[in-house]
Amino acid sequence: MRKKILTVDDSKTVRIIVRKAFKQFDCQILEAANGVEGLSVAAKDLPDLILLDITMPVMDGVETLTRLKSDPHLRGIPVMMLTAEGGKENVLKIAKIGVRDYIVKPFKEDLLIEKANRIIDLKPLADGPVKQRSILDAADILVVDDKPAIVQQIHDGLKHTPWKIHGASSQAEALEFCGRQAPDLIIASLALPEGGAFELFRLVRANPKTKYTPVFALVVKTEALAQQQAQQAGFTYIVTKPIDLGELEARMAKAMNLDTSQRYFSMDGDLLVIRLPENCSPAVLTELSVYLQTKLADAVDSGYSKVVFDLLAVKALHMGIIKALLQAMQACRELALQFALVANPQVVDGCKEFEDTRGWTFYESFDDAKANLSKAVAVA
Amino acid sequence: MPAIDQISEALVRENITRAVSNVFKTMLGRPASLHRSGGSAGTEPLPRVVTPQVVGTVGFVGEASGLIYLYLDENFAKQCTGHVLGMSEYEMRSAGEDVVNDAIGEMTNMVAGSFKSALCDAGYPCKLAIPSILRGHNFCIERLSSALRHVYHFECGEHSVIADLIVKSCD
Repeated sequence: MRKKILTVDDSKTVRIIVRKAFKQFDCQILEAANGVEGLSVAAKDLPDLILLDITMPVMDGVETLTRLKSDPHLRGIPVMMLTAEGGKENVLKIAKIGVRDYIVKPFKEDLLIEKANRIIDLKPLADGPVKQRSILDAADILVVDDKPAIVQQIHDGLKHTPWKIHGASSQAEALEFCGRQAPDLIIASLALPEGGAFELFRLVRANPKTKYTPVFALVVKTEALAQQQAQQAGFTYIVTKPIDLGELEARMAKAMNLDTSQRYFSMDGDLLVIRLPENCSPAVLTELSVYLQTKLADAVDSGYSKVVFDLLAVKALHMGIIKALLQAMQACRELALQFALVANPQVVDGCKEFEDTRGWTFYESFDDAKANLSKAVAVA
Repeated sequence: MPAIDQISEALVRENITRAVSNVFKTMLGRPASLHRSGGSAGTEPLPRVVTPQVVGTVGFVGEASGLIYLYLDENFAKQCTGHVLGMSEYEMRSAGEDVVNDAIGEMTNMVAGSFKSALCDAGYPCKLAIPSILRGHNFCIERLSSALRHVYHFECGEHSVIADLIVKSCD
């Protein structure tokens, strides 16, 4: 639910600064120019956090805070004082009445966000209507490792993706990067000196701009203790070395919540093409089946009536692939979609070995399948 | 408790310099450095300012009482406001003078708050008043004969900022 923050300050300037500071977060800013107005807004809207000035006309911050704390409905609302008066006596006085934190003016917006984030869970605001990002969209990946060879290996292994790999050799360098721009995903080596990856993870989670950024831990396969510690700390995923780059890519896509359907489904003229990749691991087939019904229904909805299953890249046929194809073909029949199969000779030969697949007709090329489907439609 | 007359000029200068520098650095991202100081306990009035000015003023009352004036020329006041509020020149024109008054009032409040905290910590507890704004040109503010005056000229880039402190002696 959207957080509500009430700023009670007689200075319009401070209220504008507060509004500006929280602009990039999913929260509603409520405003009041003095304590009386503040109490009224608080009672009506029950904000999640109140930012309260001290010196105000009508009712000052100290009296407002006292009244808030004596009201059973409002006493639980956390209050942070925003005050120009930072003397010891003043701070002690407000601390006694019960504030969660205080900021002495002048303050930087980042400090306000950091302190507010310790009290309420600030979520970054999505730009415009939420649209799921896809595997074809650019993403910034930060790899934090003091060994350049590892950064290079990940860079080379993912160069076919639209993702940009940024290297950082230390925790400090990584934090500096995060200060400039929030990466879409971070991979941090647990071998960084002095527990650098754990400290980085803690600071990334404490920063409202990166608190939801997936952070992968990178560790040697045999280092069980470090893996366990990373799991307990809450790292999104543990990548073990030697790195399986295919697996890493799939995990990264999942962690970034990317729509990966474009890997398997595409439109070609009046055809829906379902393309099986070279390595059809159980994870790949599961992912394919998740999208299948929706993609076929979308195709029908958009006026498509033909489907080509492209198995040209498949290296080794196995029961998982056959089961997935049987399921997809059945779904096509139910939606009255015509389909054809294109495969390489190994797959064609493999299919001859199984009872269920012996009678399947294959085409050698995509164009052959397309022409045949057009002919079939014309005859029908 | 020390008598108010014993507040040394050095204490005033040190704290007002820290307050002005901190506010300008934090809010505007540019430092303001002390250029020269003058006035003190004498009768010398603030030099007459001829260009249009926006002057923020905040009073403090308690064991130490007085007024802090912060003088900015009008154009610089507008620039400061635009920067602090992230407003364009067009937005500033549409918003009118009130927004500049409020922003300069708040900056003066921050300076006064910082200065007041130092006074409190030095044994002179006092409270701040609500900020107000003076606008105009070709004027000077005179002090009460019983008050001490400290005037500090700051430079912030090509602009000048004047902090004028009038501190009442104890009765």
